[in-house]
Amino acid sequence: MIQTILDALSYGGLYGLAALGIGLVFGVMRLVNFAHGELIAIGAYLLIISVPTLGLPVGIVIAVVGTAILALLMELGVFKRLRSAGPAVLLVASFGVSVFLQRIYEVVFGALPLSAQVAPWMNGVIEIAGTSVTRGSIVTIILALVLLGGMWFFIDRTTMGLQIRAASSDFQTARLLGVRSNRVIGAAFVFSGLLAAAVAFVAVTQRGSVDPLFGVNITILALVGTVIGGLGSLQGAALGGFLVGSTISLLNSFLGNYRVYTYTWLFILVIIVLLVRPGGLVSSKAARERV
Amino acid sequence: MSLLRASGVQAGYGKVDVLFNGHITVAPGELVGIVGPNGAGKSTFLGAMAGSVRATAGSIEFENQSIVGRKPEDIVRLGLSLVPEGRAIFSDLTVQENLRLGLTGRRSKAGAELAMEDAADLFPVLTTHCDRMAGMLSGGQQQQLAIARALVSEPKLLLLDEPSLGLAPSVIQDVFSVLNRIKQTGTAVVVVEQRAHLVMSIAARTLVMREGHVRATLTPEDVRDEAKLAEAYFGTGEDKA
Repeated sequence: MIQTILDALSYGGLYGLAALGIGLVFGVMRLVNFAHGELIAIGAYLLIISVPTLGLPVGIVIAVVGTAILALLMELGVFKRLRSAGPAVLLVASFGVSVFLQRIYEVVFGALPLSAQVAPWMNGVIEIAGTSVTRGSIVTIILALVLLGGMWFFIDRTTMGLQIRAASSDFQTARLLGVRSNRVIGAAFVFSGLLAAAVAFVAVTQRGSVDPLFGVNITILALVGTVIGGLGSLQGAALGGFLVGSTISLLNSFLGNYRVYTYTWLFILVIIVLLVRPGGLVSSKAARERV
Repeated sequence: MSLLRASGVQAGYGKVDVLFNGHITVAPGELVGIVGPNGAGKSTFLGAMAGSVRATAGSIEFENQSIVGRKPEDIVRLGLSLVPEGRAIFSDLTVQENLRLGLTGRRSKAGAELAMEDAADLFPVLTTHCDRMAGMLSGGQQQQLAIARALVSEPKLLLLDEPSLGLAPSVIQDVFSVLNRIKQTGTAVVVVEQRAHLVMSIAARTLVMREGHVRATLTPEDVRDEAKLAEAYFGTGEDKA
């Protein structure tokens, strides 16, 4: 029972981090970045390749820095050139980037899964209140709490965070006040890259292998989370991601042998939520006022 | 020496030009009005000066430096600040956070605290509400916040787009008396207004715009000359551009 709750919390935290990464970029440039999954994948590749030879701490640094750099390259190489384009163009471009990177990974790393033990100690168990639980779920929950807390501090307390919030609610006015558009969008991409690397770490320790489509599933489900939470709201994105992740985890344990129906039930719930609250759970004031 | 000098400015949205021949000269510390009917291109002209609307032709010089094609975030750092129509405050940020955002466009970090205090002196009501969400303020308070937010960047030229829009008459008086005080601090002001009489009474000169052109320049004395006003506004006989 305790393990079930911890699993739900850790899955929730994982998807919350992924959804927050997507929500950050959506906020400042109204881009639904499907290529977020490929950021998660590169983080996982870098971990799997570097950790066995260089050790975990160095591997984590390489994965985090590498993922953030790729995120920034996406913005500089593709999205920056499409600044004046509409949301539909941006969406299709992000599909393009996503598929392009998947093929690149296939050429560079091969189409078959690469596997390595990144942090085997995370699969061990520890005793809590008389029941044994996996270390992985505890570590994931702590990691998610630390990162969500750190992101909250960054967004709510720093000048760059304030500028990101302003740009998310009204980019034109923010620029008139002197907010540098390229810097704010660049920062949002870098932070979404950092979050993708954290997601990659947790996911790769769970699965033990990485393939070119490693990040696709988690990205689609995290996107569902950002929509449920309310597009345009960062708290909403994190909350929506958390709910999707924990619901999947709970459905998996309660459905037992019928777990093939997990996603059926998940999306039934998603449909109900959206019917009741079409704007998402935390509908942003900015979005409301524009209506 | 003029602070701002624009001539032959053409600008619009997408492929459609709204402004065909905008010209204006503003001296330091001067208050200039722009009036005209809806769709005359007044807001577009202000947007072209602030860099939020792209000018397709003409010249705009701020302190003898061309600013055509420059980004709004760079223009504000030169000392030209626009308060857009409809106030455009960040309603889901606090009053304090809105003001802090205004500091972004300052040329130097020094004196930021003082600028915040000056803004608070000009609009005492903002100090009492500083931790409130800006969206909770009344219309008049939001307009004051939008002006204060532009002022904390200590602009040399403040552009205001229809500050009286949607405000009660008594509140409009407050806003305009503030404009007078801003002018007294040496900041030049260009104010676009629908209420011609109001703006002409405080402006050194008032430009009349119609159909994308600046059609006439009026002096404060013209405010009593209804015939001249009507002609400038609606155009009788042939137009002189």
